[in-house]
Amino acid sequence: MDYKKLGLKCGIEIHQQLATKHKLFCECSAAFQDREPVFEVKRKLRAVAGELGKIDTAAMHETLKGKVFRYKVYMNESCAVELDEEPPHPMNRQALEIGLQIAVMLNCEIPEEIEVMRKTVLDGSNTSGFQRTALVGLNGWVDTGFGRVGITNVCIEEDSAQILKKDRKGVVYGLNRLGIPLVEIGTSPDIHEPEQAREVAEKLGMILRSTGKVKRGIGTIRQDLNISITGGSRCEIKGVQKLNMIPKIVEKEVIRQKGIVAKGKNVSSDVRRALPDGRTDFLRPLPGAARMYPETDCPPIQVTGRMLERIKKSLPEIMTDTEQRLMKQYGLGEELAKQVVRSGKAALFEKLANVSDAKTVANVLTKYLKQFPVPDEKLDEFFGALGKKKVPKETLEGMLKQLSGGKPVKDVVTSAGEGLSEPDVENVVRDVIRKNPQVMKVARPEKALMGLVMKDVRGRAPGSLVMKVIMKEIKKH
Amino acid sequence: MYSKRIESFLKRKKLKIGDMVTVTKEGRKISGLLMPQTVSGNPDILVIKLVDNGYNIGVKMEAGAAVEKGKGTEPVLVEEEAEFELGKTKTSGKLKFSAGKPKISLISTGGTISSRVDYRTGGVYAVKDPGEFLYNIPELAKAVNIRKLVTPFTKMSEDMEPQDWKQIARAVARELNSGDRGVIVTHGTDFLHYTAAALSFFLRGLTKPVVLVGAQRSSDRGSSDAGMNLLCAAHTAVSDIAEVGVCMHGRIDDDYCLFTRGTHVRKMDTQRRDAFRPINEYPLAKVWPDGKIMVKNRKHKKRDDNGKVKPDLKFEPKVAMLKTYPGSDPDVINYYISRGFRGFVIEGSGLGHVPVQAKKNWTSIIKKHTKDGVPFVITPQTIYGRINTSVYTNLRILYKETGAIPGGDMLSEVALVKLGWALGHTKDPEKVREIMLTNYAEEITSRTLVGTFLY
Repeated sequence: MDYKKLGLKCGIEIHQQLATKHKLFCECSAAFQDREPVFEVKRKLRAVAGELGKIDTAAMHETLKGKVFRYKVYMNESCAVELDEEPPHPMNRQALEIGLQIAVMLNCEIPEEIEVMRKTVLDGSNTSGFQRTALVGLNGWVDTGFGRVGITNVCIEEDSAQILKKDRKGVVYGLNRLGIPLVEIGTSPDIHEPEQAREVAEKLGMILRSTGKVKRGIGTIRQDLNISITGGSRCEIKGVQKLNMIPKIVEKEVIRQKGIVAKGKNVSSDVRRALPDGRTDFLRPLPGAARMYPETDCPPIQVTGRMLERIKKSLPEIMTDTEQRLMKQYGLGEELAKQVVRSGKAALFEKLANVSDAKTVANVLTKYLKQFPVPDEKLDEFFGALGKKKVPKETLEGMLKQLSGGKPVKDVVTSAGEGLSEPDVENVVRDVIRKNPQVMKVARPEKALMGLVMKDVRGRAPGSLVMKVIMKEIKKH
Repeated sequence: MYSKRIESFLKRKKLKIGDMVTVTKEGRKISGLLMPQTVSGNPDILVIKLVDNGYNIGVKMEAGAAVEKGKGTEPVLVEEEAEFELGKTKTSGKLKFSAGKPKISLISTGGTISSRVDYRTGGVYAVKDPGEFLYNIPELAKAVNIRKLVTPFTKMSEDMEPQDWKQIARAVARELNSGDRGVIVTHGTDFLHYTAAALSFFLRGLTKPVVLVGAQRSSDRGSSDAGMNLLCAAHTAVSDIAEVGVCMHGRIDDDYCLFTRGTHVRKMDTQRRDAFRPINEYPLAKVWPDGKIMVKNRKHKKRDDNGKVKPDLKFEPKVAMLKTYPGSDPDVINYYISRGFRGFVIEGSGLGHVPVQAKKNWTSIIKKHTKDGVPFVITPQTIYGRINTSVYTNLRILYKETGAIPGGDMLSEVALVKLGWALGHTKDPEKVREIMLTNYAEEITSRTLVGTFLY
């Protein structure tokens, strides 16, 4: 398809949860781990003239009539602020700084004063009836292989309450997600090729992860696509899960709109839901812009030159740059470098690779840790003791297994970093004999002893050395 | 609020709030609507509402920045939206009441319940026409016929004075005596319970409901408690409970309201919807927005539509409230007396103690001024519970020898209002004592019901 000829215009909107300690407007934990609600509050919302913009209040009133929203309250993750029983506390500084950092990384202009706004939301997902949001960056850009794509806005906003259940009686929401800081990034409709859309989404996601301050995992990032062609209409596609599906979704939406246009019909402006096979499904008509008005309970925030300087000076390295650097500086292969960066352990890698063998460190961090989890400090101590020496795979595995099982580093690696010396093995063998005197009475004690000793020293000393020591000790006996 | 420098600059450029402007700074152009700056913002920063996404941002006005009037007018969307705001042509007067429904009046005095935000500028204003906030609650027309809206004044309740209570009482009496089934008074919440107490004493011979109502969340948001509170107040105003009371959320759920007697209600939280709690008494009733009323306290006057209410507004404002605490110095009483104060409510500790054996003892000063005819009423600073006059020696000294008046289980705020009302009627200390010990508005209960604690 000739997308240029079809006049494809596509923009992306990304919502990403930030990994802050607290929520955006209160000191509740933003961990989103509370699963046992302590009680439930029932609320209703009312259509308010003016707040809805051009929407007819009387009609909205009918829609909301009799609708009861039930909110589950969690001990550590909801307080009077989430319940709309207390005005918001001052905005979380950590979230604000991450937002500013992202805006700077996306080449945005930063307002000198940030004003918190209320965006009207009447579906119950915000107890207050609005979402708090603030524009922290505008008029930025990101480069792609297809050309530059504008960034219209970077906003810091509060996440909505999570739908737990929908039934005849209404909707049940969990308040633990409400108020978790989100960054919203919106691009201009500068994307003109399906593949470009994927590239933009991937790049934005990569920039977000480069900060090391965004949440990872399912539900922490949400991507929407806005797509139109000449003669068609803007449709918003929600719930795009996989990056690789983006080109297919764009393509299918173009085909859909093209088909309608060809029949001489009008394409309605819809909100559509992405299906796993790349097709989309009608959700609801695209609403007009939500009414936005100042949050009078939050004082404006001054962005001083000094604050901006500090942020610019401490910008994180973009992940793709880190990958290149790790390849060059530490001689890692491309795949291994990528894995190290994506694991989020690049900083730890560099620290350890400076005292030990880089490839060994990279392999441990990306492969072995899943099976043998070892805390960072212990790894630090371990690689320090190991030094630059290369260790056979089997020995390395054995050592990690023991570390992960709780053995101190000094018992796993000798100061020489070579595993156990002959006197070390002698000590172990004598110890085993002392603790298990009955072993010496069996027919072939060396066999039983070998099993017991190896249990302890596997990976740290070769079997031949152990056998030699055991035979020596048996003779002595 | 903009700085003088910006103000005069805008004046020179003939720019006003709401104008389209273009700010040029360091080669960048920012276009949007000029907004007011809030008190907490930087007065040298211009607030601009961006036209394409509705966000406000601040632009610092410093050397090298230029502002010009934007070429276009206000964008159509913003203009059209504004037409739907309260008080504008498209909304005002839409809520019509039917003559077939019971007649009531609504007296609007200000407060959060009648404040609204200007959605464009974010400024908060008091609505001039109470009809504006009724527009958001069309169910009201199914319950009552609000035949008259009265606005004696518009104030936040923390600014109210006894003079204001009198104005409200007059307005209530006038409307009730003109044939209303009941009256709703909308009011700020901070000092709402003082006004409730005052009306309880002022409105003699009351035979119809007088329902005070406020809101803890402003009426301009979808989650406001104003709607449900007003609906419940309307149902209460046409009920048979002929008392002055406060009708506000009973829980933090949007479930039901409590109608609580004006002399037994207190704001017990700074912000919760259910901040108004009954103290030392059960609420008069639970009221649901659909009109269901469950009476919780049978001790109330019944409606008599033939009755006439007589306002009795004599009031002495020179009364003061003090509180005892460790090391508290009773010398302040001498100061108040020297400034012409004529009566005191003292929040005593526990059962109603003041320091007796302490270095700074209160009893000798109270005794001296009591002899001179100044009444001292003691109320419990525990809020809940009742004063006792004889369990401890110190209590016997205070009430028997010193001559302080025990306030029973009266709330301090209620006792203060009552004392001013009593002193408005008589200078005779014996008469004042008698009034303070007599029940005029069920302000003193005879039985302490254990289930009323933390209700």
